[in-house]
Amino acid sequence: MSIIEVEQLKYRYPDLTDLVLDDLSFSVEKGECLGIVGENTAGKSTLCYALAGLIPHFYKGAYGGKVTVNGLVVREHEIADIVENIGLVFENPFSQMTGAKKTVYEEVAFGLENLGLDRKEMHRRIEQYLKLLDVFAVKDKNPFDLSGGQMQRVAIASVLAMEPDVLILDEPTSQLDPQGSSEVFEVIEQLTEKGMTIILVEHKMEQIAQYADRVLLLHQGRQVALDTPEKIFSRVDLKDFGVTPPVVTNIAKALNVRYPDSELYPVTIEEFKRLEEAK
Amino acid sequence: MNTFELKDVAFSYSLDIQIFDGLDLTFDSRTTAIVGQNGAGKTTLVKLMKGLLKPSKGTLLIDGDSIDKQTAAQLSRRVGLVFQNPNDQIFKTNVLEEVMFGPLNIGMSRNEAEKAAREALRKVDLESKAEDNPYDLSLSERKLIALSSILAMDTEMIIFDEPTMGQDFAGKEKIKAIIEELHTEGKLVLCILHDMDFAAEVFERTVVMNQGEIILDGPTRDVFSKKEVLEKAYLEQPYVTQIAHALGYDESFIHESELINFLNKND
Amino acid sequence: MNTMTLYVEKDSPVHHLDPLVKLLYVVAAIALTYILPEPLFIAGVLFVTLLLLLVGKVFRNSLPILTLSLFLIFSLVIVQGFFHPDNVTELFSLGPLVFYEEGLYVALILVLRVLVMIGSFSVLILTTSPDEMVERLIKKGMSPRIGHVILSVLQLIPQMRATTSKITDAQRSRGMETEGSMLTRIKAFFPLMGPVVLNSLNETKERSIALEMRGFGSSMKKTFLNEEKQYPYNKLLGGIIIAIVILGIVWRVMA
Repeated sequence: MSIIEVEQLKYRYPDLTDLVLDDLSFSVEKGECLGIVGENTAGKSTLCYALAGLIPHFYKGAYGGKVTVNGLVVREHEIADIVENIGLVFENPFSQMTGAKKTVYEEVAFGLENLGLDRKEMHRRIEQYLKLLDVFAVKDKNPFDLSGGQMQRVAIASVLAMEPDVLILDEPTSQLDPQGSSEVFEVIEQLTEKGMTIILVEHKMEQIAQYADRVLLLHQGRQVALDTPEKIFSRVDLKDFGVTPPVVTNIAKALNVRYPDSELYPVTIEEFKRLEEAK
Repeated sequence: MNTFELKDVAFSYSLDIQIFDGLDLTFDSRTTAIVGQNGAGKTTLVKLMKGLLKPSKGTLLIDGDSIDKQTAAQLSRRVGLVFQNPNDQIFKTNVLEEVMFGPLNIGMSRNEAEKAAREALRKVDLESKAEDNPYDLSLSERKLIALSSILAMDTEMIIFDEPTMGQDFAGKEKIKAIIEELHTEGKLVLCILHDMDFAAEVFERTVVMNQGEIILDGPTRDVFSKKEVLEKAYLEQPYVTQIAHALGYDESFIHESELINFLNKND
Repeated sequence: MNTMTLYVEKDSPVHHLDPLVKLLYVVAAIALTYILPEPLFIAGVLFVTLLLLLVGKVFRNSLPILTLSLFLIFSLVIVQGFFHPDNVTELFSLGPLVFYEEGLYVALILVLRVLVMIGSFSVLILTTSPDEMVERLIKKGMSPRIGHVILSVLQLIPQMRATTSKITDAQRSRGMETEGSMLTRIKAFFPLMGPVVLNSLNETKERSIALEMRGFGSSMKKTFLNEEKQYPYNKLLGGIIIAIVILGIVWRVMA
């Protein structure tokens, strides 16, 4: 069974007339990295909320269809029951800090205290994930004294420490400077290598091309396509959905550098180079 | 305005950390991007130029005349600054009123202000939302409202702080068009950026800052060819430059079309 | 990182007391000033309170708080000294001002009582970290949500100051004057407060999403990272305080 199953999901925010998610059906396999792309109004963040259970538990509104995470029907369980299955990290690192804890170490403990873990297990997990995210050195600092990149890594550590099976990253670097973003992407690379199931929303298509196994293209709440990055970024109608392919794919299109016997273009520099040299 | 000059400027927030120490920098009619990490001093630089902060040493000059004695409110007629987060400024319940706030503050009549506001909204393609409540709009639309509220003040120089953050492809294209339009109108355009690809694509000149110092300054093409210096500031080259490099070409490419033409010819 | 707490981190016997015992002391000390409203007796309670401040190594830190309350104390003396309804016995006069014994007696009690209140609260607040306090209260059954609100307000208000200065900059660069006459300042109120309020609402929404995702709404029994401090003389001290209060009541009833 797939780790995430979405069946005919429809959703509308309270007081709004249009569906924000309109009949989505797809599944995500264990260990997969799924990229979600689309323009600003496509419904990407809303979909993340629906996977994490914030919809329909935190945001009310009209809800139809079914989301299952790890066999758990999201609609029928409290968010607190879902958090050990799926974790969510979003854009703004600052508002992901609880504000009630005075050190990074205690910040990570917050979720574990809520789960009712015993002290030994808490210490084990906090150390493990602070080290994994490379923020162990700042464990005694106040979270608000960190740089944006560090703060975002603490946010990721705090969510991972709850040991969910799926991690959703909703534009995790869009408020960070270049150094902060590369710090976060190094972590994402490590996690994908470890076989973590990841859902990644991102504006930089180069990052999607590099990390995603499959890409879900959304447009006005509808599912346009779900396929490999090569297939999605080779589409001729991509611009109609407000998405530009990676620069390297654009260049490949202009120079007609393709995979042999197919309509597909490369999406990474390495592949481009390989095909260009083979020509 | 022809030039905005900073001469031997020093500034610090506290005694122990000096942000600038003898900074010399002149902005001219070339569109200019400033890149660098957080903490490099970009925002401080802009605040000094707007009179929101005062230097402890040195002079700021517009067309050779010192502006040291002018207040932030007086300078707001000449230099406009578009803040990163539109939520830091929007407070009216009507888009048109919000955009008219600046023009009215700097002494335009209601008629003039409304005309300027409508014209500015046209530039960002949000004329149709003039009567809406800004809070009913999406974040990227609100960013454009904040931008037009500065455009409406018709200043001789416009500074953007991270305008592309959170914008999708369509939003970026719009901002690019506005910058080019301002440039042809003869205004000075300066832009703080984290997005190297946007900097490479749009700006004539690029300044790289690192820890309060200017480590690179020149035509955008030359600046982005200096891989080692950029790495010192933890910056990456634009993707096009990286691709060209990976393919083994030493020439510096900063536009997609350049590289395509070059590769086509080489074939 | 500045937080809004007045807590002074030091190593003293008072710091090692159970926050609940200190809270009990505050209640008992104030109650005693009402149970036995004799100047000499209240002075005794005040003496013990000041002694605790000294032992807790925070006497100096309590001085600004006590000075601040001087204004309040001074006005109490004047008002009571002049206008107390029982005023009969003239004590002394300063020009046209006449002070009466009855009024001053009442004022003295009030002054001492205010000093006890401020002093005993200082003992609690200056020697107890908010975290320890809230954690103790949650364990005694206070809702974790209320605890969270108390702790986060202490940290987030200083953060809000940063937001406010950013907003001020944004409006000033649109030509708004923020300094000058009263009228200018009043005019600047809405352009500043509007974004401040909306920004905090927005951030609160985001933060509550983040908290939900950290299992904040969990019905599971919460555990605590920090080991519970041992408070060895807890029962004894609590017992003594309660005994003194009861003695005070008995004394009052008998006399």
